[in-house]
Amino acid sequence: MSTTYVTAAGAPTSESANIEWSEKRYLIVDDFVGIRQLLRESLRNIGAKHIDQASSGGEAMTLLLRTHYDVVLCDFNLGEGKNGQQVLEEARVRNLMIPSSVWLMVSAEKSVESVMGAAEHQPDAYIIKPITEGVLLTRLNRVWHKKQVFREIDAAYIEKDYLRAARLCDAQVAQHKVHEIDLMRMKATLLLKAGEPDKARTVYERLLEEREFNWARTGLGKIRMANGDHEAARQMFQGVIGENRFYIDAYDQLATSLTLLGRHDDACGVLEKAAKLSPNSVQRQRSLGNTALRIGNIPLAEHAFRKCLAIGEYSINKTVDAFFGMARVCGQKNDIKEALRLLAAAQRDFPGELVKLRAKITEGLVYHESGDFRRARKSGDELEALLGQEKKRPQTATCIEMATLLFAVGVKDAPAELLCHVVRNNHDNPVLVDEVQAIFDKARLGDEGAAMIAEARREASEMMNKGVLLWKTGKLVEAVEWMREARVRLPDNMRILFNSAQMLINHMQLHGYDEALMVEANGVLMHVDDLSPGQQRFAQLVEQLQMLIPGRAQTPEAVDADLEALRGEAPAEA
Amino acid sequence: MDDHTGSPELFMFLASTVHDMKNSISVLGGTLENLLDQAKPETHSGPEYPQMAHMLYQTRRLSDNLMQLLALYKEVGKPTYPFEPNTVPVQELVQQVASQARVLLESKGIVLEVEYPADLLWTFDEDLVIGVLAHAVNNAVRYTRDRIRLTIGERDGMLELTVADNGMGFPPSMLEAGTMVGQGVNFLTNSSGLGLFFASEVARMHRHRQLTGAIRLENAGPLGGGRFVLTLP
Repeated sequence: MSTTYVTAAGAPTSESANIEWSEKRYLIVDDFVGIRQLLRESLRNIGAKHIDQASSGGEAMTLLLRTHYDVVLCDFNLGEGKNGQQVLEEARVRNLMIPSSVWLMVSAEKSVESVMGAAEHQPDAYIIKPITEGVLLTRLNRVWHKKQVFREIDAAYIEKDYLRAARLCDAQVAQHKVHEIDLMRMKATLLLKAGEPDKARTVYERLLEEREFNWARTGLGKIRMANGDHEAARQMFQGVIGENRFYIDAYDQLATSLTLLGRHDDACGVLEKAAKLSPNSVQRQRSLGNTALRIGNIPLAEHAFRKCLAIGEYSINKTVDAFFGMARVCGQKNDIKEALRLLAAAQRDFPGELVKLRAKITEGLVYHESGDFRRARKSGDELEALLGQEKKRPQTATCIEMATLLFAVGVKDAPAELLCHVVRNNHDNPVLVDEVQAIFDKARLGDEGAAMIAEARREASEMMNKGVLLWKTGKLVEAVEWMREARVRLPDNMRILFNSAQMLINHMQLHGYDEALMVEANGVLMHVDDLSPGQQRFAQLVEQLQMLIPGRAQTPEAVDADLEALRGEAPAEA
Repeated sequence: MDDHTGSPELFMFLASTVHDMKNSISVLGGTLENLLDQAKPETHSGPEYPQMAHMLYQTRRLSDNLMQLLALYKEVGKPTYPFEPNTVPVQELVQQVASQARVLLESKGIVLEVEYPADLLWTFDEDLVIGVLAHAVNNAVRYTRDRIRLTIGERDGMLELTVADNGMGFPPSMLEAGTMVGQGVNFLTNSSGLGLFFASEVARMHRHRQLTGAIRLENAGPLGGGRFVLTLP
């Protein structure tokens, strides 16, 4: 059915979709005074009363610090100083934007940034000049509407209740066809996070039947990669880049697949290209630095870590790894003084025992690699003393790095203890166990190592079996208590952690909700997610846990009822 | 990347100059629109009003040409171009095109009729398609007597977007240019060729299953004048 409108004005004006745009607070950021006036006129024409203006990124930051704006219209190209993307990132990192506020990035031409998927912080929409009132109002309404549609999904996402969030996506598609692609893209991401790659693949494949979306093809590649089919994944990422040379995520994934294939030189080349296309990503520069360090390209590693430190300053992704990487680079260049300065800076900016430990390891490596074996040994001794004081052990990779260094400088007991810790916490991971055996072999402790590994594995499986036996024989309270102790002894063992959480949940399912048990189970699961994100069992347990919260929907039907209630609600004001 | 063979400094310089030019033209067009909006024709019997209307028309042409040149320079149609299809309610497409044309059409005393299915959604690159349609409307301003009709609808699985007018129809040279561009021949010998070429590149970028977008020009449209047709899969 067609609707015909015949008016001198031409067409129906855009409906405001029940949004009071006149009461919102607006900020216009543009270095060109004529454009600011023009935009102010347009905003006044849609009823806006509170409009502030800034002519530079710095001025914008001053105003953003003072006022919470509902709508920011920011030009990408601001002349000297920060560009629009940097203003956006700083505003988000410093928490100057509320979740409901809208950021529209204005540019003179269709911007590459809009399709790169590169920036850590995306604006809500891009608008191309010249901006007319009709376009402005249409896009504002659309973004606002989309934020409403995603509100509940985002909330579930933050709670890491990925399976419920994925179901909410389906429910919203039925209501809002116009956001179907975005919702399906989100659903696939959620399913991957929930450890359901097969279901995510189905979503991507259905989308690709419709259209060749870069992100969907890249998503399929990621699934292939997770399944260990690195070569097929590599070809898919390469294909995406062939179709769209600006889709930066495909470069990062391609580099990862090449690393997994052992092609470190090629991976480094790809990361270098990606970093040229989109240099302002902390993670990308870190990967480039680490890969370059690995293949011995010290100048490239130096460049990447320097950049990583510089952009990290204003980023939520600021990383201590950049300090350690840069210190290693300095060590290779025999600039010990600068390396030590960086290690001190790392400990100043990132307080905590683990960083202290990693700084000490890096210090030892720097001395060892620069040939100062006496000082390397001294670092090793200090490290041993630190390990004696601190019972908590760092993540597996750091433990292995530390053990390798300690053996190299001649320490014996501390590294052996560290490696036993690694084996106890990964007792059913044969690849890792082989790696540990190789380190013992290299330290000429092959036989002793083999015996220690066997003992550590036996201990871990006995602890686990006893807990499961108590549970299966109905001694749930004793099982919960036993697993608590097991967690102290084996703090990073995934199977122990999962079983412990399962038993806590089971306890509440049988004996009712308990605040303390809830907090405990949640803590265990969040620790698992830190250790290894994207586990299927994690998503299932989080979902079971969420259902135990009093007043929380228990069944899919109840979830639907919740949604109905949500739709009836008036849109929330910021 | 080796996308731009010239020196990067020159490219940066050109990019910022173009940015500046676009700002100037935006301000020029916006100011004229505001002036025209405030000065209604009935209160102004002198020659200023139609002259301002003509200035706006020329400004729009300048703006369109710049936008198209920029897009072609950035290689619209090639893998390097940031092509970005989205699901868009057809109604919102119409609103945006009509609002861009409103003041120009009012000042010229031209009526815009629009016809579209109220609930239809389609997937396309919104900014590019708005660019093509807005240019087609501006172009029709030159040929029409007093009516332009924008019709959008689904036809044989394709989205058909038509801009028709009640003028004398396109001159033979335009029709020929339309046919050539429609057959994939680059027809860049005159200025109307630029708009057509841009439109056909935009159409070609839209692919869905085995189908590709296309454009054509015809005379004897529904209002008796010329008709520009864009079809999208």
